[in-house]
Amino acid sequence: MLLPLLERAKEKNAHFLVTPKTGASSGGVPQCGISFAPDAAGIPQRALLPGEQYRFHFDMTKCIGCKCCVVACNEQNGNPADINWRRVGEIEGGWYPNTYRSYLSMGCNHCMEPTCLEGCPVDAYSKDPVTGIVLHSAEACIGCQYCTWNCSYGVPQYNPERGVVGKCDMCHDRLDEGRAPACVSACPETAIRIEIVNIAEWKREYAAHANAPGLPSADDSISSTRITLPNNLPPDTRKADFFRVRPEDPHWPLVAMTVLTQLSVGAFVTIWLLQLFGKTTRLGVAAMVSIIVAGLALSASTLHLGRPIYAYRALKMWKRSWLSREVLLFGCFSGVALLYAALLWFKLPGSLAIGALTSLLGAAGVTASACIYLVPARPAWNSKHTVAGFFLTAMLLGPLLAASLGIGDRRWLSIAIVAATAGHLLNEAGKFFWLTASDSFELQASARLLSTTLASSFLGSGALLCLGGIILPLFVPTWAGASASLLTVLAGEVLGRYVFFVSVVPKNMAASYLSAGKAAA
Amino acid sequence: MSLKRQLGLDILEEKYAYASDPVMGHTSEQKIPDTWVSTTCGYCSVGCGMFIGVKDGRAVSVRGNPDHAVNSGLLCPKGLSEHYTLEASNRALYPLLRNKRGKLARIEWDEALSVMVEKFRGAQEKYGKDALGVLSTGQLVTEEFYALGKLVQLGLGTKNYDGNTTLCMASAVSGYKRSFGSDGPPGAYEDLSQADVIFLIGANIADNHPILCQYLDANPRRTLIVADPRVTKTAMMADLYLPLKPRSDIALLNGMIHLLIENGLIDRKYVAAHTTGFDQLEESVRKYTPDHVSQLTGLTPEQIYKAALIYGKAKAPFIGWTMGVNHSTKGTETVNVINNLALITGNVGRPGASPFSITGQCNAMGTREAGFASSLPGYRKFESASDREELAALWGIAAERLPASRGWAYPDIIEGAVAKKIRALWVIATNPIVSFPNLGVLQHSLDSLDFLVVQDGFHPTPTTEVADLVLPAAIWGEKEGTYTNSERRVSKVNRAVKPPGEARTDLDIFLGLAKKLGCYGELFPGWTQPKDAFEEWKRISAGRLCDYSGLTYELIERHGGIQWPYPTGATEVKTTRLYSDGRFSTEDGKARLLPVEWEPFPEQPNADFPFVLNTGRTIEHWHTRTKTGNVPILERLSPNAWLEMNPRDAQSLGLKPHDHIDVISARGRVKSVELRVTEIIAPGQVFMPFHYAEANANQVTQSAFDPISREPNYKQCAVRIERAQIAPQYWGVRGSPRARVQA
Repeated sequence: MLLPLLERAKEKNAHFLVTPKTGASSGGVPQCGISFAPDAAGIPQRALLPGEQYRFHFDMTKCIGCKCCVVACNEQNGNPADINWRRVGEIEGGWYPNTYRSYLSMGCNHCMEPTCLEGCPVDAYSKDPVTGIVLHSAEACIGCQYCTWNCSYGVPQYNPERGVVGKCDMCHDRLDEGRAPACVSACPETAIRIEIVNIAEWKREYAAHANAPGLPSADDSISSTRITLPNNLPPDTRKADFFRVRPEDPHWPLVAMTVLTQLSVGAFVTIWLLQLFGKTTRLGVAAMVSIIVAGLALSASTLHLGRPIYAYRALKMWKRSWLSREVLLFGCFSGVALLYAALLWFKLPGSLAIGALTSLLGAAGVTASACIYLVPARPAWNSKHTVAGFFLTAMLLGPLLAASLGIGDRRWLSIAIVAATAGHLLNEAGKFFWLTASDSFELQASARLLSTTLASSFLGSGALLCLGGIILPLFVPTWAGASASLLTVLAGEVLGRYVFFVSVVPKNMAASYLSAGKAAA
Repeated sequence: MSLKRQLGLDILEEKYAYASDPVMGHTSEQKIPDTWVSTTCGYCSVGCGMFIGVKDGRAVSVRGNPDHAVNSGLLCPKGLSEHYTLEASNRALYPLLRNKRGKLARIEWDEALSVMVEKFRGAQEKYGKDALGVLSTGQLVTEEFYALGKLVQLGLGTKNYDGNTTLCMASAVSGYKRSFGSDGPPGAYEDLSQADVIFLIGANIADNHPILCQYLDANPRRTLIVADPRVTKTAMMADLYLPLKPRSDIALLNGMIHLLIENGLIDRKYVAAHTTGFDQLEESVRKYTPDHVSQLTGLTPEQIYKAALIYGKAKAPFIGWTMGVNHSTKGTETVNVINNLALITGNVGRPGASPFSITGQCNAMGTREAGFASSLPGYRKFESASDREELAALWGIAAERLPASRGWAYPDIIEGAVAKKIRALWVIATNPIVSFPNLGVLQHSLDSLDFLVVQDGFHPTPTTEVADLVLPAAIWGEKEGTYTNSERRVSKVNRAVKPPGEARTDLDIFLGLAKKLGCYGELFPGWTQPKDAFEEWKRISAGRLCDYSGLTYELIERHGGIQWPYPTGATEVKTTRLYSDGRFSTEDGKARLLPVEWEPFPEQPNADFPFVLNTGRTIEHWHTRTKTGNVPILERLSPNAWLEMNPRDAQSLGLKPHDHIDVISARGRVKSVELRVTEIIAPGQVFMPFHYAEANANQVTQSAFDPISREPNYKQCAVRIERAQIAPQYWGVRGSPRARVQA
């Protein structure tokens, strides 16, 4: 059981955080005039009082960018080289020879309002009540990686080898032994320290001390890290990796899951509306197809998890996490939709009411789904365009499925399809112009990706929507045309959703100018 | 991946488990060793004390030694991951001989040594003793250098023997010899904490000797002056940064000397008592007025005054330098100007005050002291009959067997092979294909050889790949001996694990070879272990500047390294400095003040090649990356080469950040380097690191060498930058070294 530090210290009847322990050395006296930093240097020497927590202090004026902290952290935690719980980034400004290049070393900021914790569907995160350290339990984690989207600093990192996320825990157990965290001990410049902070005071003052060039705003989560900045940083100081923007992970299971759930929801709503307007033929068949699609979507979603067997745990935090709510609502939706499909199939009474409930739960599910992406740490997702896009996908694919199954009035369905496509295209165009017009680095960078690296995919998805959602319905009014239309639009939606996932530029700390592979998400 | 893992039932809990260890505290369980072996870091010459954690015969972790005099428990990122070098995938495991089909094939050790002796003897019999060349290193232990020197000069009988230290420290060695009469850096690291002014010239210690930075941090009084054309991390730490033009340091230093003399800020008593040549020096610096120096250096006269006055008024000013000074055709003379500045102000060998060359490799100092390449062991001079006689008497051999002059230096051995005067070459623990300037000439040279032996801890390296015979050697962590660091501190190196495969320690290889040559009994009577070499070396060094005679392995271990001189009978272990009494190693005991003139560097930029290329290092990598290129975390942190260019130049060339460019000189082309557009570098200059075989900076560097030290002028060659002709390669994907060498 994980007891708070103070409790454990009391149990052990030990003085809390005072005893420096020396290493394996033979006890010789350092011969040079400088003082040796013992293992307990750089950590507080008194116990925490109520209303206080630990935090990192990073002194940018001391850091020489040697990255000892990064190597020491990886050694401490046995992490593979491409997972770095502590990272060092660069910022640069000024003009030769008055150039200024500085370094930013960061582990977890052990935020006062941790966004990783708030979004977690399985309650794998906890904020230690005594130390304020944000802890993550690998055992509880199901590897959904939602925390990696929620953190503005890119702190939690998914370890594909394990199927779970991991993060800096301030070497919590070392602190408990009275030893400094690995990064603190390894720093040759004593630029990293652990301090005690009064939580209430910090919440008032953090804006002046927790922000730095090359670092996302501390407002998102109230970072507890105090940063000492050099005086007179040049005004043009910015992250060294400013011009290196790479597409993010496409999350293929989520591309499939979101598009297919939206197809299924759109289809059920269409079926229910047709039923409402007195249509009865072949609704059962359409509902059965739609329920299969929903099943596929939910199966796809588990493929995104590092630990699919524990998918059910995602229901746990429905009071707090949109991810839990999505799982819950789509779970209910599928159950009710199955009942609805059965009622339609066997032509039993009560189907209209159950259909209404299905539609309602579906719409709620799509809303929850969209809300997952409304995270401040991923600015290009965090807009009404995301919500509109998800609903427009449902509104477009639902009638398309109906049309291709030959239910409903083709003329009305075509009008709905063309209208939804037009809305969809307008929404995408609107999003692109919003991105280009923005002055935020991340939004601008997303626009840059869409107009360069991703231009062909972005325009391609638009073209497919045009073809399948406007041209085919208007000019090929046959069953074959409707089927081609569905397939074309589905391809366009999949491509568009891929672009949605890869074009987001997350908030993150500055990185090195060169960095191998994917930047930590 | 197992089904359990795919389902998520298994999250590799054992692999990622933590445990608490009495020494390490709470840490990853797989890093907790059974035993700790104390040793000294095998990368640079700072000489950090450390422990290797050994579990089941494998090195699983390292830890800085908190009680070591040099580093107080701290290590740089290379040191912190040094255990990975031992199990790197590119370790050399078996002796390999090139067969008739041109492929390297495994053979037995006995056959390898027999073939080596046969080929060497064959070449020497046919073309003369000196047709054999030997290129050594700064990576071995002193005991091995001592044995190798005897083996090469007396056993094999060639004097064409040099080390890669000539690519690194030769100018400091020659400069010290010319000014003070002997090699040997006079100061100590402690001076960095005690000086009131620290003047770093062409030295980026924050990247290259980061553990020294803590000495500066521990010194609140210091004023730091940094002279460097590039705004390095170290320059950013400076109180006074002097962004001088490339290779204008002689002008700056002469200008400072001029101002100090003019303003009476020199120590006339010291000059009179301990130096010769002041009048000529005074005359020679007369024309280095602030205005003239300003034109030559690009600095303002105010900056020159300021630097001179800060240095001149200091009570204990320290001057440190590295490759910005040494990698130059004027390297030796630049060292002499530095020494002039220190001498006229009486700042040699006093606490805080010394002209101090910060060395490169972990044991470059050891080979300088004991190596028998640039001098006879114990800093004895080839030219001195009395030195030769003394040494011959100690060894019990005829003095005539000792060469009366130094053989060819490294670049001359390379060019000697081109001229077919060198027919067989033995390369030990170095990788010339990446480290030697002007790759085209080197390749021609290696191609011209009849037989090339490469003895290295790593294979394949670009150089082992072209060898006729590859001898697999043990590396740091696998053998015992001593290293001497920049401040003359002798530290112990210990064996923690067995060498991989059939790799042998270099000493074992040398002794095995001696047996084949039939000189074992004479040169190495009864030697089986490093201690045998150490005991003899102690006797040879007795009474010399680098006196080891009072040292024992036990004493060194107990004190975490001891500075020489430590003569027999010494009892107190303390910081030592050289020339504190003002007596130098010259015949008259006086230091030489040597007039030096500024000259433009040899290859000036021109219309075809408009940029001045500067080369250097990054903290994550070591030399040619044979050691660090397979340490995953270091590769992660610094995955590929880059070229720094000022935004104004990039704009005029239409280049954007992260574009891939080619670097072209009159000699060659480095292909597809990632462009870094940055204000770190001045307009008209570009910088690239030299570590990467895939983007080998030495494809464009020049064959220009210091006439005194023979050190290459790696810096300042004229290049042109073009957009890359080939598609950018993604460097994170590691190609085989075979692919690298063909680049």
